[in-house]
Amino acid sequence: MIRLIRRADVTAIHSLISIAVAAVLTLVISTIVLFLTAKAPVDALMQLLTYPYQGGTVIVQWSKALNMAAYLGVIGLGLSICYRANVWNIGAEGQFAMGGIGAFGTWLLLGSPTAWWAIPCLIMGGAFAGLLWASIPALLKTQANTNELLTSLMLVYVAAQTLFFVSNGPWQAPVRYSPSQTVFLPESVQLNAIIPGVPTFHMGLPIALGLFIVIALVVLYTPFGYRLKVTETTPRAARFAGYSPRVTVWAVFLLSGAMAGAMGAIYLMGDIGYVTEESNFLRGFGFSAIVVAFLGRLHPVGILLAALLLGYVAGGASWIQANLREDDSIAGFIEVIALMSTLASALFLQYRVQWRGFATQPQENR
Amino acid sequence: MTANDAVSLELNSGQILALLGENGAGKSTLMKILAGLTQPDQGTIEIQGVDVVIRSPNQSRQLGIGMVQQHFALFDGLSVLDNIALGLPKIARSELRERAMQLATTYGFQLDLDDTVFSLSAGEKQRIEIVRTLLSEPKILILDEPTSVLTPQEADQLFDAIRRLADRGHGIIFISHKLDEVARLCDSAVILRRGRVVGTCDPRGGAQSEMAAMMLGSQLPDRTQRGTRTLGAPQLVIHDAQSTQGDAAIKSLTLHAGEILGIAGVAGNGQDALFALLSGESSMTQERALKWLDQPVGGLDPNARRSQLGWAFVPEERLGHGAVPHLSLTENALLTNLADPTFASNRLIHWSHVTQTAESIATQFDVRHAGLHRQARSLSGGNLQKFVVGRELIKNPTLLIINQPTWGVDMGAARHIRDAINTLAEAGGSVIVISQDLDELFELCDTLCVINHGTLSPPRLIDDWTLVELGLAMGGQTTETIS
Repeated sequence: MIRLIRRADVTAIHSLISIAVAAVLTLVISTIVLFLTAKAPVDALMQLLTYPYQGGTVIVQWSKALNMAAYLGVIGLGLSICYRANVWNIGAEGQFAMGGIGAFGTWLLLGSPTAWWAIPCLIMGGAFAGLLWASIPALLKTQANTNELLTSLMLVYVAAQTLFFVSNGPWQAPVRYSPSQTVFLPESVQLNAIIPGVPTFHMGLPIALGLFIVIALVVLYTPFGYRLKVTETTPRAARFAGYSPRVTVWAVFLLSGAMAGAMGAIYLMGDIGYVTEESNFLRGFGFSAIVVAFLGRLHPVGILLAALLLGYVAGGASWIQANLREDDSIAGFIEVIALMSTLASALFLQYRVQWRGFATQPQENR
Repeated sequence: MTANDAVSLELNSGQILALLGENGAGKSTLMKILAGLTQPDQGTIEIQGVDVVIRSPNQSRQLGIGMVQQHFALFDGLSVLDNIALGLPKIARSELRERAMQLATTYGFQLDLDDTVFSLSAGEKQRIEIVRTLLSEPKILILDEPTSVLTPQEADQLFDAIRRLADRGHGIIFISHKLDEVARLCDSAVILRRGRVVGTCDPRGGAQSEMAAMMLGSQLPDRTQRGTRTLGAPQLVIHDAQSTQGDAAIKSLTLHAGEILGIAGVAGNGQDALFALLSGESSMTQERALKWLDQPVGGLDPNARRSQLGWAFVPEERLGHGAVPHLSLTENALLTNLADPTFASNRLIHWSHVTQTAESIATQFDVRHAGLHRQARSLSGGNLQKFVVGRELIKNPTLLIINQPTWGVDMGAARHIRDAINTLAEAGGSVIVISQDLDELFELCDTLCVINHGTLSPPRLIDDWTLVELGLAMGGQTTETIS
């Protein structure tokens, strides 16, 4: 019989081993699946892993991956703060959408300016809208003890409908535009490309990186980060330390909502330029960021690596779809396999396995 | 440390025997010996006049000993019948169903064999365990704290079933520390204390106070070696304090400077709720009910009590309450100092000061550790307790509230902790000690009160208590007459 024995002390070496195990598992399982499903598996695998160097412009391919990683990383870091406080915010997608709407609304409120100073205002407007959207599940949880898992998820659909409403209703652009969208933000209020000709590598990326670093430092080194560490595994010790659970719920919801909202604003100004319906505006960053948070073991460094990994894989999947006519849903599959492998290997971080042979009878292990 | 020291007991068929004792009294070890999980160093076990040696759980079962554990070992996703079948040698389903049904009707268990386990209540799950145990036809049935998860109604049904089992000739060992249940159900009781049998009695007819006294100590400990302290001015005055959840109440209590007040009581009588009320972890109905130096302080949270009043708290549970298991010792040194600006401001933690403090705690309180960066859970219980107590005492608190200061701690560490508490009181600090160890309370305390069902009796000078009165108060019989 196999027995799991709790480790007395978990060290950095155990951590590294378990991450390596997860990486190997992901690679092996993904390869098997690719071989079962792809038309030209060897080619597909090769190109999936090395797509920036497969004939396209290297910098363009890399910047696609980095662009995606920026959204996943910042939103994932925000979500990790919630999860460490045992608050299950899975509505980042909605907070992201409201961030886009809030930024565009801010632009309209300011009187449709074309000056550069509109950019920080729009980012703050987006962050504030995300924060407001996240405050709804926080309020329901602290006042009515509602399950935030359900409320935050349901609000994603409300936010999606709001996108539909504004882009077909009050903010709908004049007829010369395509239907169901708002007007474009002026060039001067968009986040322009840093390298000419590479639109996905825009000013929003360094802003996202700055935001990520600031929040990561807060999580790692401040009393707020300590609060998360204590609350994560021992709510009882958190109360003993004087932390109010209510304040924790509010703080993590507002912070993560503002982060997702700010990224919604950056997406609006850097990647798309207008608000439109759900199917064209939302790309699932808010949901993939949940995977990123757990893949990174809720630690900022891990989340950064996980975001880069998933960004890279997603870029590779769209490459093999475009060039080899392979199914790009392999990206979603790898995402899930990576998550499962990480969760499974985390078990062995906490426990060591002991093989006791077949001799003992199962009843005695009860 | 001897968990069981020359324990003898005798069980007749048809008898319901209570095995009473505090946590750590040696009940579990004794039962592990009967279950074949632990081997005794000496002594004999006889079943129906035959000397036996129990080497394994299987053998224990074959000898006719059946044990129902406190925690269920059931598969939630399987049906009742599947769960019963799992613990048994292979027999035909139809036959098993018939036998299980027959047992259930004989003993009055309502059990639908086709229900899925996850939909059942704790009482029903326990019935599955009992039926499963009974199917191996035990002569002796051991029930380990069976009522701890049951509602009072479910407990009543269980007691009926136990009586029927006894009527049919089973010998029953009922492990508990709930005195009223023992008095209702059992026809004899063996009381264990620190691994020894300290008494046997007939629990029927109001022997509760006698049993409580035996559980806690056969005589009042000697106090001659302890000098009398002169107490200072009143510091803490409590009047009609009640927790909002209603699980703890204090009628009236005054604590002086330099006073050590003990709170005695049988386990599970609301000690934790009382601790939470005093530490501010649970809220109280009236802010004025709790006064410190004439100021109402009942509305303050734990950190405000620490930083504004200079109080300090040590909870019973070391890991998970007093310390965070997966954080390092250094990080744990910060846990109760968050409101102190020398440890942390709003933006920054002053790690050098935290580390220094952790080092001083370790040296002054003799904490044996393999590095302050190691996780708290890597320490032994005694060392961690010294760390947690040291973290509070090093602050020289004005009031220390400490729950079970030396529970599960070796003699040396216990000595160290008690000495430190005494030193604090001699320097003028006030202390409230909640403990289930009468020896400890009599060694430390100036005054003593008793907690029963969440309510605290008025305190009295420790020399004014007699053993009989203490027993009565702990058995919860006539709190009014002794107040």
